[in-house]
Amino acid sequence: MQQNSTAKQAMADSHSKRPSQGIPDVIFKWILILPATIAVIALLIFPFMFTLAASFTDWHLFNLNAPINFIGFKMWASVLTSSYIHTTTWNTIFFVGLALPLEFLLGMTVALALNAATFGRTFFRVFFLMPLMFNPIAVVFLIGKLMLQEDIGPINDVLMGLGFPRIMWLSDPFMAKITIVLVDVWQHTAFMILMFLAGLQSLPQEPFEAAVVDGATAVQRFRFISLPLLGPVALTAVLIRGLDAFKVVDIIYSLTGGGPGQATESVTLTVFRTGVKGGDIAFGSAASYLLLILMAVFTALVLFATRKWVRVSY
Amino acid sequence: MAGERLVGRVIAYIILVTWTLVVGIPTYWLFITAFKRPEAINRGATYIPWVDFQPSLLAFYDVFVLQGLANSRPFVNSVVVALATATISTVIGGAGGYALARFPFRAGPFNNDRIAFGFLIQRMFPPAVLLIPFLILFRTLRLLDTREGLVLVYCAFSIPFVVWMMRDFFRSLPVEIEESALIDGCNRLGVLFRIAIPLSAPGFVTAFVLVMIGSWNEFLFALTFMFNKAVTLPLYLTLQTSIQAGTEYWNMAVIAIFSILPVAVAGLLLERYITRGLTFGAVK
Repeated sequence: MQQNSTAKQAMADSHSKRPSQGIPDVIFKWILILPATIAVIALLIFPFMFTLAASFTDWHLFNLNAPINFIGFKMWASVLTSSYIHTTTWNTIFFVGLALPLEFLLGMTVALALNAATFGRTFFRVFFLMPLMFNPIAVVFLIGKLMLQEDIGPINDVLMGLGFPRIMWLSDPFMAKITIVLVDVWQHTAFMILMFLAGLQSLPQEPFEAAVVDGATAVQRFRFISLPLLGPVALTAVLIRGLDAFKVVDIIYSLTGGGPGQATESVTLTVFRTGVKGGDIAFGSAASYLLLILMAVFTALVLFATRKWVRVSY
Repeated sequence: MAGERLVGRVIAYIILVTWTLVVGIPTYWLFITAFKRPEAINRGATYIPWVDFQPSLLAFYDVFVLQGLANSRPFVNSVVVALATATISTVIGGAGGYALARFPFRAGPFNNDRIAFGFLIQRMFPPAVLLIPFLILFRTLRLLDTREGLVLVYCAFSIPFVVWMMRDFFRSLPVEIEESALIDGCNRLGVLFRIAIPLSAPGFVTAFVLVMIGSWNEFLFALTFMFNKAVTLPLYLTLQTSIQAGTEYWNMAVIAIFSILPVAVAGLLLERYITRGLTFGAVK
């Protein structure tokens, strides 16, 4: 790394001594990076600050001519004490808390099986990646609205044929939460498979050979070699997927609309409802920052819980 | 030893076949639903064509001929928005990635690694935080319900990702080739266009396809800012299923298939390339 950057430095120097050849490096490098930097500052960082500022006002779009006042933490107080926000926050945590471990375990299991397979590997790998390419709304349609349809869906048809009662996948408030998780698991386990498979294939072979010579069983090899070495990959996978899961909104909006009642509504959907549809800019802004805080806490907890056995190098 | 290995392999294939069914059956169900007539759906679950229902092309006729005009607009919107976003963000992000991979930067506390991390971290923030400022921006600039607006938002999300990915890619290319070109009298632009870009073509293809898939599948911003003219396929699918209370499953299945097909085909063909992009370079 150090050597590499010295080489690059040398390359830059050798060139700047010959001014006859077009644009000098110092200008060239800024021309290359400026558009991306401006885009990020103008379209991401500035809007983030804007939302933070808006969360301390009483801005409401439907009070057309009313002046916008800074009211300090009043809006935050009403967000934090709102039972509506409490419900949707718990819904979001419930969703992440169920979907993430399920995807993690299923993904690791399937990836281990794939790694042990001898023929048909490419087929399985490509086939298992497929759900990740589907748009979430199509996944909602094929899992939530076709497979799990309460009256004419094949899953209830088979279950009832086996003597089970009809399961109210969407009209029962608790089952609706589960159904949302199932839709997400069907699609995003693919990501975990992808991560773990890439991790397994990048493991060095020597420890395994040595363990085989020493007479370790497959279970022992997994427990004492694969698992510790997979640590960094597992941590990255949990962080990426977990943070993504906190943002859930599309499958909920198009499957249940947040219902029945508010049984499945996530924080992002609340921001959409109050801030965008309801015009309550201030409330929506504070609620969206609440989600950001929630995600930061999640990241801190994951990093803290795994500090003993995983070191990330970013 | 040999016995243990055999048992392990049998278990592995049981798992693989199970997961193939989990992924395959719903996909199969989506395809056969598109070929069902209304009666074959409404009377209860029917499983196998020609055995318990007679396949028909009625839904395809409905979607492409009878409602072809209405259905073509969201499709065209999705294609235009996805391609425009992918092109713009690959160019801008690729330039940024190249700069960060090949030139030393120093701006206050920021060096190359920190700037790159600053780009990466943008991807972790919740889009919900951006809904409200973009709502104000779109109302002010009259971008509501326009494809241009959607491309703007999607580029904002994609550019940081492309910067991060392409920086990683350029760094994996040997710098010596570019050095020797410089010594041979090629200028910086020449090095970029004649050497760096051709050598990193696979990286650009990966970035392009991933951004294309991402913006093709995006839902929240399309839902917030597009109502009529510039509706994209995922939004259209949602609107259709809720308007008709989800009763015309056969037509919906056809639309769903065509909302999946273009990106799924592109993604699966380039599977090898995009795996690295999807794992964020977490696994080298």
